[in-house]
Amino acid sequence: MNPTDGIDVRLQGVTKSFGSVVAVDDLTLEIPRGIFLSLLGPSGCGKTTTLRIIAGFERPSRGDVFIRGQRVNHVPPHRRDFSMVFQNFALFPHMTVAENVAFGLRMRRTARVERESRVHETLNLVHLAGFEDRYPRQLSGGQQQRVALARAIVVRPAVLLLDEPLGSLDKKLREEMQVELRQLQQAIGITTVFVTHDQEEALTLSDQVAIMQAGRIEQMGRPRDIYERPTTSFVANFLGVTNLFEGRVVGREGGEAVIAVGEAPVRVPAGGDLAVGERARVAIRPEKIAIVPPGRPGGLAARVRHVVYLGPITHYYLETPEGQSLVVYAQNTAAATVPWKTGDLVSCLLEAQSAFLLRG
Amino acid sequence: MPSSCAADPQGGVRKPSPRGRFWLSAGSSAWILVAPPVLYFLAFFVVPLLYLFFVSLHVPSQTELYGSRVTLDNYLRVATDSFYLRIIRRTLVAGLAVSGLTLLIAYPVALAMVRMPARRRSLLLMLLLFPLMVSNVIRAYGWIAILGRRGVVNNLLRDAGLVQAPLPLLYSVETVVVGLLTILLPYMIVCLVNALLTIDRSLEEAAQSLGAGPLRTFFHVTLPLSTPGIASGLLLVFLLTLSAYVTVQLLGGPQSKMLVSLVYDGVMSFVWPRAAALAFILLGISLTITTLMLRVLRPQRVEGRG
Repeated sequence: MNPTDGIDVRLQGVTKSFGSVVAVDDLTLEIPRGIFLSLLGPSGCGKTTTLRIIAGFERPSRGDVFIRGQRVNHVPPHRRDFSMVFQNFALFPHMTVAENVAFGLRMRRTARVERESRVHETLNLVHLAGFEDRYPRQLSGGQQQRVALARAIVVRPAVLLLDEPLGSLDKKLREEMQVELRQLQQAIGITTVFVTHDQEEALTLSDQVAIMQAGRIEQMGRPRDIYERPTTSFVANFLGVTNLFEGRVVGREGGEAVIAVGEAPVRVPAGGDLAVGERARVAIRPEKIAIVPPGRPGGLAARVRHVVYLGPITHYYLETPEGQSLVVYAQNTAAATVPWKTGDLVSCLLEAQSAFLLRG
Repeated sequence: MPSSCAADPQGGVRKPSPRGRFWLSAGSSAWILVAPPVLYFLAFFVVPLLYLFFVSLHVPSQTELYGSRVTLDNYLRVATDSFYLRIIRRTLVAGLAVSGLTLLIAYPVALAMVRMPARRRSLLLMLLLFPLMVSNVIRAYGWIAILGRRGVVNNLLRDAGLVQAPLPLLYSVETVVVGLLTILLPYMIVCLVNALLTIDRSLEEAAQSLGAGPLRTFFHVTLPLSTPGIASGLLLVFLLTLSAYVTVQLLGGPQSKMLVSLVYDGVMSFVWPRAAALAFILLGISLTITTLMLRVLRPQRVEGRG
């Protein structure tokens, strides 16, 4: 491997089994330099194991791990060029903030003067100047989080690994830290692998999101792509509420297939493999459906079953005459004058370009 | 053990827990719960101790517990008589040797035990405590059977033709140390295992992720974070060594007396004030060594308290 090809981490056919349980299953993954990649999935999907394999805390049962082009299968963690922020921060309780941050530099035998200036510089970066002599237990959760981050980035590793580092913070603090983390990552341009089970967090922070399930990557791509063009129903559902429809292909136009869902035609980008008359599954997000008065041509007839008012938006739970249920999120703008009530007959307009075809 | 009762000099940012406030407001009911053991302790430990101190400040008497004249003589004699000083030194050396050696032997064992699956570990802990069910007297006689003039070791050596006359393996400080080592080792292991178990594994991984190899991870993280266990283990073993009597008497013989033996001799020869003074000197040594150990080890730093 050529170290200058811009790939900081490469997993090649990595499998990890614990006894009979396969945690990571033949996983191949390339992480380009400077990218913020999230490994997103439900618990037990293998995301943390994948991270720990990159770190060297777990050895792959099969396959190869490369960091900056060097095969590191048999390199112990302390000789690998990474650093990590742990779920519980794992700050050394017997060391001050400055000592915690300096630890990695001391292990690398960085000269004292440079060490001190880099610790100082990094603490400034995470807004913790003046906290040098505090002990971790004297800090709030958010401050501890920043120390953990400073300790990890001060050594300027090839790759920064983050294991659900925001999980233990409360909602407001978590959102603040998301923004800070992203700004920091972009400012220093460090290749980052972030493990999380929180969809929103992954979508907010990442350049690339890899959705994992059962030890495999279901889909990987930019946040917008995976959210708007999921390829499997698992991904579609995992990234939020989705309306699934069984339909039939009624026509083809260019690269798109026209699929009739009830009476309503939707267009989805589709390859040549989908012929007229074939059955197909399409999905559409709740915010991509508009509710209009009944009888609109091309609309999907439905009855309002349940209404949940949430301030800026309202959730409508609807059911078609065929018994298909669907969810619609409507913005509560002034233009949307008609607040629908339970029992109303309505028409649903599926935003034609926003539906997507599901394979799995 | 010592860390949990350390004061909080930093002021800290910790808010008082709701439970803490509950106990404050319900102070009277808390006192009712604590009162019986406190009273018991006062009546049967603190008061007798004060009385003992009072006794130690008087001249001995042939007929009474203590004579009428007040004096510091009991202490001064111990402090100036080379016989007593030698025994104090022997006691100190034995205490430090036993606690130091148990620490060295127990630490690797404890490290191995915390890396084990929990079930095997608890089984081993049970096995470790099993010898404690055998009385010290019996175990001391066991050592005599092994190390005596006609004991197992000497018989083997003689049969192998390695020695002509039996070696004097018994009745020395070294024998006492070896005997106490086997008795006190489980205490040390239990202390260390408990301390090591409280160390979050991710701290060691964090050290590795920052470039620390196994040795540096041990010396920078594992060892300092286990100081509460080291401190409680050392103190426990040291204090138990200082107050050991049966083992010292049976394995040390008349040549290797320690402070407790002197206290016993004093009582047996009805020189109560001197026995009392020796008891207080023993207490003073215990307190001094305890303070020194806590100063050096600073177990409270594990919680980031200086």
